Amino acid sequence: MTQLPVQTIHRDPQLLYWILFPITLVMILTGVLRHYATILMATAPKKLDQKTLREQRSLLHGIAVRSNFHTLSKPSFVARREALTAAYESGAYLKAPENRGQAPPNPMSDPSSMEGMMGMMKGQMAMIIPNTLIMSWINAFFSGYVIMKLPFPLTIKFKSMLQAGVATRDMDPRWMSSISWYFLCYFGLQSVFNFLLGSDNCAAASQMAAQMGQMGPQQAQMFGPGTDPDKQFLAEAENLAVIEHYSVLDEVEQRLLEGIKV
Amino acid sequence: MPPSLLHPPSQLSPSAALQLSQQAPNVLSESLSAVSSSPFSLFSAAETPELWIKYENLLLSCLRTGDERAAHQCLERLTTRFGATNERVMALAGLVKEADAQNPEDLEKVLKEYDEVLSEDSANIPITKRRIALLRSMGRTSDAVSSLVQFLSFSPTDGEGWAELADLYLTQGLYQQAIYALEEVLVMAPNAWNVHARLGEMQYMAATAPGASVSYQKCMAEAIKRFSRSIELCDDYLRGYYGLKLVTSKLLKESAKPSKPSEEGEFALPDTRTMEKLNELASAKLSEIVRRSTAREAGWRGYDELEVAAARDLLSEETSAHSARER
Repeated sequence: MTQLPVQTIHRDPQLLYWILFPITLVMILTGVLRHYATILMATAPKKLDQKTLREQRSLLHGIAVRSNFHTLSKPSFVARREALTAAYESGAYLKAPENRGQAPPNPMSDPSSMEGMMGMMKGQMAMIIPNTLIMSWINAFFSGYVIMKLPFPLTIKFKSMLQAGVATRDMDPRWMSSISWYFLCYFGLQSVFNFLLGSDNCAAASQMAAQMGQMGPQQAQMFGPGTDPDKQFLAEAENLAVIEHYSVLDEVEQRLLEGIKV
Repeated sequence: MPPSLLHPPSQLSPSAALQLSQQAPNVLSESLSAVSSSPFSLFSAAETPELWIKYENLLLSCLRTGDERAAHQCLERLTTRFGATNERVMALAGLVKEADAQNPEDLEKVLKEYDEVLSEDSANIPITKRRIALLRSMGRTSDAVSSLVQFLSFSPTDGEGWAELADLYLTQGLYQQAIYALEEVLVMAPNAWNVHARLGEMQYMAATAPGASVSYQKCMAEAIKRFSRSIELCDDYLRGYYGLKLVTSKLLKESAKPSKPSEEGEFALPDTRTMEKLNELASAKLSEIVRRSTAREAGWRGYDELEVAAARDLLSEETSAHSARER
């Protein structure tokens, strides 16, 4: 079995100073800049008026009664259930009772929901624009040659990741091109930003994506645009109606006498 | 445990509040350089929410102990950071104004300011609450109750509001309404043992109040259950044991027979044996608490002195009654 000869490519040592460091530095500075840009562009959450507040909190109240019914005695629970169900079904808590039964307004035409979408757009723009600029900058100046050799061996699968922009078939995957270094920085600088900006920064790519994934759908489900509060109230009334009541106070004396030792 | 500026100081004893407000010169002498949100904060300590919580709690403690100069400084810093239109800062500013008021006319003026704010933005919750508290401290209880009910009709998930309403009703002797309001607090915080015990106390008061219209046995039965639940959740809670002992002793003395609950789902009194056991349990634990906290043992010092004294009185009353009967 013949040992493959170790590939050696003679690189100018200046590559390190003129490409590797500048790319890293630019990436970090863009991250910091993006963090502050996002803070500046963030709009304060819109203030709710009293009726909206009432609509949302009444629903939450019903949910609280439904999930904590066991702290109440049966008569108190039944009284609450009757009051809440009657109010929900008659639409007493609705913000706009005259719109009852109509289809919910199209979220695209509603100005208040447009604002939320604009916010999301702004966030995405803050990601896309600098990334496009940096990538084209790197492509224009540094594409087409390798800049460093990783100090550990890699399998052939990494070739497409690390040698983007260098179309050489037989080169060892340990050689790395500048655009690949850019990608590595893009995904790997999270901890650097945590160090510089604190853990709740909005500089890095991965966190941004995670936030979009988690926060978005839940919020939208509850009170977001396009949901019909009347339907939510009716569903909640039904949820309350099917509760089989028991109380945590049933048999509490026996539990106490068995469970506690002085 | 020394009082910390990071917790709201409303429950502290006067001496602890004084201790906190004496930290004011130290806290206020710290420079405000950390407050900027410019990019240069990269190189200085980052601004933390704790800092502002500290200022807020310091403000409250200082108002309580009469150090109004420091309170004004705290308010000034909070205002420069969050702006005068921040709801929470508005409420704190109102609080400082109330404290500065020299006579009832000044208070009326503050009240009018609150009304103006609320006519512009009726959903300003901190100011709504301040207005209710001011009405209450001015002695206009019925106004306070009606505003509070109005507030809770648009914000029924506010546990603080419900607790305040329960307290207001209780001062007026409206026990059933107070119990209803306190049950709402439990709906919001189902495992709050202090609220369970408080509800037991209210049931007891409702049962023993002169001219009570509600079923005596039902209220006493629920009181026992509430106290038991409170002990189940926190097995060192003095008020829970105290109430349990008080109610069971009273029932045993009257040798009440458990009757069938009149309505389906209502609680019935436990049988005499169970009540005796509960009474024994409460006496044993109470005397342990009294003994250990009087001896200042480690881990038993957090009890309020007045509560321990009350427990001691309850226990000694019991023993003296026993010895009198034996003689």
